[in-house]
Amino acid sequence: MDYRLRLAKRMLFNKKSSLIGAVLAVTIGILVIHVNFVIFQGLFDAIVRDISDYRNGDILVTDDSDYIDKSDLSLVNWFERIPYVEAATPRLSSTAEINMTKNGMRFEETRIPIVGVDPFRDIRASTVHETVSEGNYVFSRNSIVLGSNVAKDLGGAQVGDSVKVKVVDRWGEDQIRRFTVSGIAKSPGGQGFDYTVVIHIDTLRDMMSRPGDTSSLMVKLNDPSKAFEVKEFFLRSFPNDDFLAETIEESAEQQLAGFRSGIAMINMIGYFGMGSSAFAILTIQIMLVNGKTKEIGIMRAIGAKRKDILLIFIFQGIIIGAIGAGVGTAAGLSYTVYADVTKMSFNNSLPLEVTYNWEKIIQTALTSFALAIIASLYPSYRATKKLPVEAMRTV
Amino acid sequence: MLEINNLSKIYGEGENKVKALDNVSLSIEQGEVVLIVGSSGSGKSTLLNMIGLLDQPTNGKIFIDGTNTTTLDDNEISSFRNKKLGFIFQFSNLLTDLSVLENVLLPREIEGTNNTAEKDARDLLKTVGLEDQMYKRANKISGGQAQRVAIARGLINKPSIVLADEPTGNLDSVSSETIVQLMKSMAKKLNQTFIIVTHEKEIFGDVDRVITIKDGKAFEGDQPSKMEVLA
Repeated sequence: MDYRLRLAKRMLFNKKSSLIGAVLAVTIGILVIHVNFVIFQGLFDAIVRDISDYRNGDILVTDDSDYIDKSDLSLVNWFERIPYVEAATPRLSSTAEINMTKNGMRFEETRIPIVGVDPFRDIRASTVHETVSEGNYVFSRNSIVLGSNVAKDLGGAQVGDSVKVKVVDRWGEDQIRRFTVSGIAKSPGGQGFDYTVVIHIDTLRDMMSRPGDTSSLMVKLNDPSKAFEVKEFFLRSFPNDDFLAETIEESAEQQLAGFRSGIAMINMIGYFGMGSSAFAILTIQIMLVNGKTKEIGIMRAIGAKRKDILLIFIFQGIIIGAIGAGVGTAAGLSYTVYADVTKMSFNNSLPLEVTYNWEKIIQTALTSFALAIIASLYPSYRATKKLPVEAMRTV
Repeated sequence: MLEINNLSKIYGEGENKVKALDNVSLSIEQGEVVLIVGSSGSGKSTLLNMIGLLDQPTNGKIFIDGTNTTTLDDNEISSFRNKKLGFIFQFSNLLTDLSVLENVLLPREIEGTNNTAEKDARDLLKTVGLEDQMYKRANKISGGQAQRVAIARGLINKPSIVLADEPTGNLDSVSSETIVQLMKSMAKKLNQTFIIVTHEKEIFGDVDRVITIKDGKAFEGDQPSKMEVLA
């Protein structure tokens, strides 16, 4: 082993408190970024996941003129012939008034979002049916799934209860029907159908006097990375229609924009933390150099050149950076694994979507490593400026 | 071997100017053991630092083995110190992060020639009687032992001159005697030049030469009546 590296190692390891301090500085910098990444990026990814799974799919097809009048069956079949497409399902959306009489009391709710689904296709393209915690998903033309908050506002509606739903049809006439509650939907986070009711799409079409119309087509891919490709292919294939097709990033842009800036800000705080770690290393390294002034003088006296002294302290920076990056990454990964295994969530919110972003993990480790070395440059340079005679006088 | 011509060293400026060395000229031959004596502040350590290239003279030239050392740049001075000069300091000045053996090896590692380094270091430690201490950390041995390690470290690169600054100044009388005998025997055995700064001339007994520094000037001998100005 090169004597400079050996000396750097010995000097550092014999000053355990300084070593631990410097390593902790790097470790904490990395950990802050990892924790930020897991919590905020995990939250962001979870929201994207839920918007995609419950509402928009990987591609959301709508029409410029409010409703798609082309046969939903033909569109679904067209999509499902593409190998990247797992499933597609039509949906029709509107608002409704709902009332229910329970124990002699009448409960009424207005302006409730109502979604018509094709029960057989919906369960393939969406996971809304998995959020039905009591009872079953929509299975017949007169069944209705109430969001848990709607059920609560209706005086605690339960499976089997009967509710009246009023929608306004395309001619402005009220259309009222009675439904039997088949299930209650409840999901963590804000993207589920807790404030929505779900009925059969054909029933809603009848009530809205819109036979064959569809508000949107939700397309789920088996490889979400191909969303843009599939979307472009779809739009090219129907050039004469007024279809709008958006990937999840596009369709949920407004919902996600705020989160994106939040994440950017939090990451910036993380990088500031990393910068603070570099200052901590700089301070510790200056202390180490000052504490080794006499040794520097002795080494210079017996023939070490300035560059040898420089290398010893840069090697210390490398050792601090390497250990700190290793420990920090290990701690960060442990936290990530813990979050993943325990399905970590906050305040009963949605479970975080934990992804191992190796590019980011490696980038963070390398940045910390580089910062530790950069932070060592000035103290190392200072060490080379010490004159042997004066340095050796230091006690 | 060593030739010093008109060497002066002035510290400070203006009214604070102090002449530490005043036009000193002297020469020392291969294998000589030379004591430099003088009262505190006389300039003897300054002279040693100049010879050891640890400090720059204000005027004058120092030739070691024919090389004018005053014209060397910083890197050349470092290499020169490493190859041609050995140092023994008052407080031994070992690196406490290293073992005894590693301390002795260090000048050779700095030089970059390691073929026989470990064997030479072991041989030297055996010569100074520390073969059983070589793996101990340098801060775990006594002051006398540390000074013996410093002698071994000073000799490892087979330097032209070994410079010792108060090598017994921090030792008890028994250890001092051991160190003195060791240096004298090494000088004889290796035909090694030793320049020793001390104010304990008596414990060195007979040496080849004594140079007295007084008020920055060098004199041959140590008896005031017989001193001859070296200029």
